[in-house]
Amino acid sequence: MLKYIGKRLIYLVLTLLIIVTVTFFLMKQLPGTPFDTERFNNLTPAQQEQMLEKYGLNDPVPVQYIKYLGNLLRGDLGTSFLYTGRPVSDVIFSRLGPSLLIGIQAVLLGLLVGLTLGIIAAWKHNSGIDYFTMVIAVLGVSVPNFVVAALLQYFVGLKWGILPVAFWTNWFCSVLPSIALSFSATAMFARFIRTEMLDVLEQDYITTARAKGLSQFKVLMVHAVRNSIIPVVTILGPVVVNLLTGSLAVESIYSVPGIGSLFVDCIKNNDYSTIMGITIFYSAFYIFVILVVDILYCVIDPRIRIQGTKEG
Amino acid sequence: MNAKENNINANIPQELFVPVQVDQSERERISRPSLTAWQDGWLRLKQNKAAVVSLFIIIVIVAMALLAPIFSPYDFAQTDYSAIYQGPSAAHLFGTDGFGRDQFTRIWYGTRISLLIGFVAACLDLFVGVTYGAVSALLGGKVDAIMQRIIEVLVGIPHLIIVILLMMVLPAGVGTIIVALAITGWVNMARLVRARILQLKGQEFVMAAQVLGTSQKNIILRHLIPNTVGVIVINAMFTIPSAIFTEAFLSFIGIGLSEPKASLGVLINNGYAVLQNSPYLLICPAIVIILIMVCFSILGDGLRDALDPRMSK
Amino acid sequence: MKKLLSMALASTLLLGALTGCGFTDSSSQNPSGGGDDTSGGTRDTLVYYDSNEIRTLVQWDASDTQSFTILNNAFEGLYRLDANHEPQPALAESYTVSDDGLVYTFTLREGLQWSNGTPLTANDFVFSWLKQMSSDATNGYNFIMTDYIVNGLEYGEGTATADQVGVKALDDRTLEVTIKNPTPYFLYLTTLSMYFPLNEAYVTEQGENYGITADNMIYCGPYTITSYDPAVGTSMVKNETYWDAANVSIPKVEVKIIKDQSSALNTYLAGGLDKVNLSSADVPTYQNDPEFHTITEFRSTYLQFNLDDPAMSNLNIRKALGYAIDRSILADTILADGSTAAEGLVSFGVSGNGTQTFRELNGNLSPFDADLAKEYWAKGVEELGYEPELSMLIADDSATKQIATFVQSQFRDNLGIEVAIDSKTSKARNELMDNNNYQFAITAWGADYDDAMTFLDLWIAQSDTGKSTPYRGNYGNADYSALITSAKADANSETRLQSLLDAEKLLVDTDAVISPLYFKGFAYLQRSDVQNLIVHPLGNPVEFKYASFSTAE
Repeated sequence: MLKYIGKRLIYLVLTLLIIVTVTFFLMKQLPGTPFDTERFNNLTPAQQEQMLEKYGLNDPVPVQYIKYLGNLLRGDLGTSFLYTGRPVSDVIFSRLGPSLLIGIQAVLLGLLVGLTLGIIAAWKHNSGIDYFTMVIAVLGVSVPNFVVAALLQYFVGLKWGILPVAFWTNWFCSVLPSIALSFSATAMFARFIRTEMLDVLEQDYITTARAKGLSQFKVLMVHAVRNSIIPVVTILGPVVVNLLTGSLAVESIYSVPGIGSLFVDCIKNNDYSTIMGITIFYSAFYIFVILVVDILYCVIDPRIRIQGTKEG
Repeated sequence: MNAKENNINANIPQELFVPVQVDQSERERISRPSLTAWQDGWLRLKQNKAAVVSLFIIIVIVAMALLAPIFSPYDFAQTDYSAIYQGPSAAHLFGTDGFGRDQFTRIWYGTRISLLIGFVAACLDLFVGVTYGAVSALLGGKVDAIMQRIIEVLVGIPHLIIVILLMMVLPAGVGTIIVALAITGWVNMARLVRARILQLKGQEFVMAAQVLGTSQKNIILRHLIPNTVGVIVINAMFTIPSAIFTEAFLSFIGIGLSEPKASLGVLINNGYAVLQNSPYLLICPAIVIILIMVCFSILGDGLRDALDPRMSK
Repeated sequence: MKKLLSMALASTLLLGALTGCGFTDSSSQNPSGGGDDTSGGTRDTLVYYDSNEIRTLVQWDASDTQSFTILNNAFEGLYRLDANHEPQPALAESYTVSDDGLVYTFTLREGLQWSNGTPLTANDFVFSWLKQMSSDATNGYNFIMTDYIVNGLEYGEGTATADQVGVKALDDRTLEVTIKNPTPYFLYLTTLSMYFPLNEAYVTEQGENYGITADNMIYCGPYTITSYDPAVGTSMVKNETYWDAANVSIPKVEVKIIKDQSSALNTYLAGGLDKVNLSSADVPTYQNDPEFHTITEFRSTYLQFNLDDPAMSNLNIRKALGYAIDRSILADTILADGSTAAEGLVSFGVSGNGTQTFRELNGNLSPFDADLAKEYWAKGVEELGYEPELSMLIADDSATKQIATFVQSQFRDNLGIEVAIDSKTSKARNELMDNNNYQFAITAWGADYDDAMTFLDLWIAQSDTGKSTPYRGNYGNADYSALITSAKADANSETRLQSLLDAEKLLVDTDAVISPLYFKGFAYLQRSDVQNLIVHPLGNPVEFKYASFSTAE
């Protein structure tokens, strides 16, 4: 197992290198410069030249790439163009906290509510709670999260005054964004676990377990859930990454200084160094989560053998 | 009586007794046409009332999307500045937007585009995603490792950059959106299918099939894929709305459809901006999209019940 | 599973406790509390918001309204605009100008100080102005100084030394500025953030850290900044060392960032803001509210035709497009936020001859006439020999999309033609325009100072091509450039004005290089107890200095 993880970590670095390279060259194809075009055009050609020279943007792209990799190896992500003069790492970390908090809360809420609903729904197939779960599951994916966010803000925040409408001043500000963000995750988890459970509950070993007199709870938790969790674990990876790396809509509705809006802003403004910084962070995080998921497969279902763990 | 009968029996000559000729082929004759797994599924689906109703509603929605814009007295792009933000009325069933355009026509026109995009996304999922995942899990070893790394690279490169670059080379429109979706839209499906097949691969029935000499192709098509149907159907259900909303997001940042064209996602985006004063502009397209999703979900569940061999009783 | 969940929950709480999650509880009051915390008599904080991030507070880097708003209240120039948008002495107490209008001598107030106690001298102006003219300036606003100050451009390009530049500190309180041409609006320029002073010793000492946080800056304006985060906003308190501190009434100002329009409205309704801009859809609901107001800005949005394009090079085609748009519908029905239908390039309110505004003097140059439009179109098609297919290039923001949709529908209704809308990210749109790769585009320009020149000199011909830049439509009429050049050098305000009036007519009417659409306005709600919160139609937009809370309520 350790050997396998070690091998995957080496892969992680290689994959990251490919992503960094491809992104770097693609990004340089984006139209325009990091500077505001209308203002940049007001400069004389000589001044424009000076500006580009100052930020090393006059070099051929491969040279810029080598320089970037060199800096990267020394742990230097460069400085942001969008927030002039700020180190990229500072910019990213200052925006990461809020996104992480909201994201983690949303994942936990989604898991708690989604799995509970899904399990009960499968257990009480075709009952009221089953239909309720299905309604939630359908609404969760077919209503965009900005609509949920706006409705929550209007009713909970404004009409009832229970929680803050917007801003980021204390923990209560993070509640509504987390709920809004968790909505689609809840739906997905509920839907996947319910479907799998329905399958599993039909299986012979469940009948056996029941027949030998295990309590209903034990049958569900020990036998059924464990065998139904694979798709949820698979989907958990991307969902966690998506939620933790922020959502443009939810962030802007609740005025949360998160990383989702930063990513869109820096791409739209050709903030090269910040684009690279976030890309590296995001991909490393994604690949790592996938690795964890692959390991979880083996833990949950000992029958699964991934290449490298044992035989070919 | 008895004696008489015995008598009659006794009178029958022995030669009349000939062995019954049992026709071997007749014995094994199949009285009803043989059903493939899919035909069997269709029969079972027909018995599921909710699924049939959903199928019917979907057909109605598709018909409306195709026909309503043609038969509507209004054009989806026709503006009327004397009738902006009008609530639903007899003249405008779903009201009008900020340009006085008939929302009814626009919603069905938008449904057409959104359904197309959802359909393409689902097809990508089914063909590319399922195949990719299945191949990766079955071949295993180095191939699996490389295929999974390719997915990681695809997911790692910021989608938005690719989309903006696409926009520079391709004209804005449905085609561009589909290309944008094609790049990573199938990744989740591939991972789900791979995970499920990894789980199934080691199970007894697959081993049994292998021992019996079933070809690799048949193991995939007859044993593995049908057992993966539940996951596939559900994920396809999530792919459709997420494709529809991805399209809305792309339109929002400028790559999507150009005005006056609209999709359901764009209509919802626009409706959201005027939520407090003209809520019907959000509610109507939202209801259509929810209806589509509800029907697809029920139909999907029905399909799963019908196709998944483990669900048959 | 449960164990897993509770462990994860525990670790979240731990994470929260460790990092603080970046919460920014900087204000004493709870800005998102109930709706009635504004009516108490003890209000000391004005809560304002911006819909975009405040990306920088470094004045030689700042180029957007959000940054200007903060800079204008934390710093000050020689002059500051008053409630009527006229420049009034600020850090300078007076000035004299030579007879030829070329040499300004400013006298600074006595005892001026930076917020850290350092004396503020004329040298601080020389340092910051030279920086703005040098290649250090990254805001692209070099022209706003180098166009006027002698040897400014040469200094920036390294062909002149600092002491050859026309800005000198004669002593600690006297600043002498030499300009190239007589400039009637020069005092306006000194109210802009680019013209604010900077303390050389402090800025040099801070180096790259200058302006990164509130602690890396010193101030000379009515307020000092106590906290600053680009994505969250800025908190300011009254600057006690400010020369006019006695007349600054509100002790604390918060500028929040709220990007979403309806979110901002909800926050206002919940009592968390003192002012909120309304979207056009919200205007009908609130227009009879006593808190409802509108203002207009000196900002014109117009269609820029590319004269290099075969179809657009035809004058009649351009005129047809111009006449086909009913701008009053755009302003009153589509935008409905106080914007007005454009009657020319130069917006309403820009000064003219003192008694009449520029717009009043030049009349309506962009009327709507569907019949005339059709006539011009037919003529144009005949001259071209074919019916051109047109495409309109726009940036992808929702406001521009709305306008484009309207313009497209007008062409359909009034000319019977289908114009494609090509929407691109603003970078991509700009690159297409710079590369001469468009037919016509929706463009806007906001005034930097109160004079028609701020609009009109954009179309002046480049010396190398004899035409305006591709971005400005490759306009090559020599008469136009001659008018602008002569106006720039003209010391006689009457003939100068006439040149500008003629130039606008030439640009908009005779040659139809552009077709104006509307002048930007804002509809907003503002708490009734907030008085004198001045918003200027140009330059540095917001003044907290004059604002106060009325105690009547």
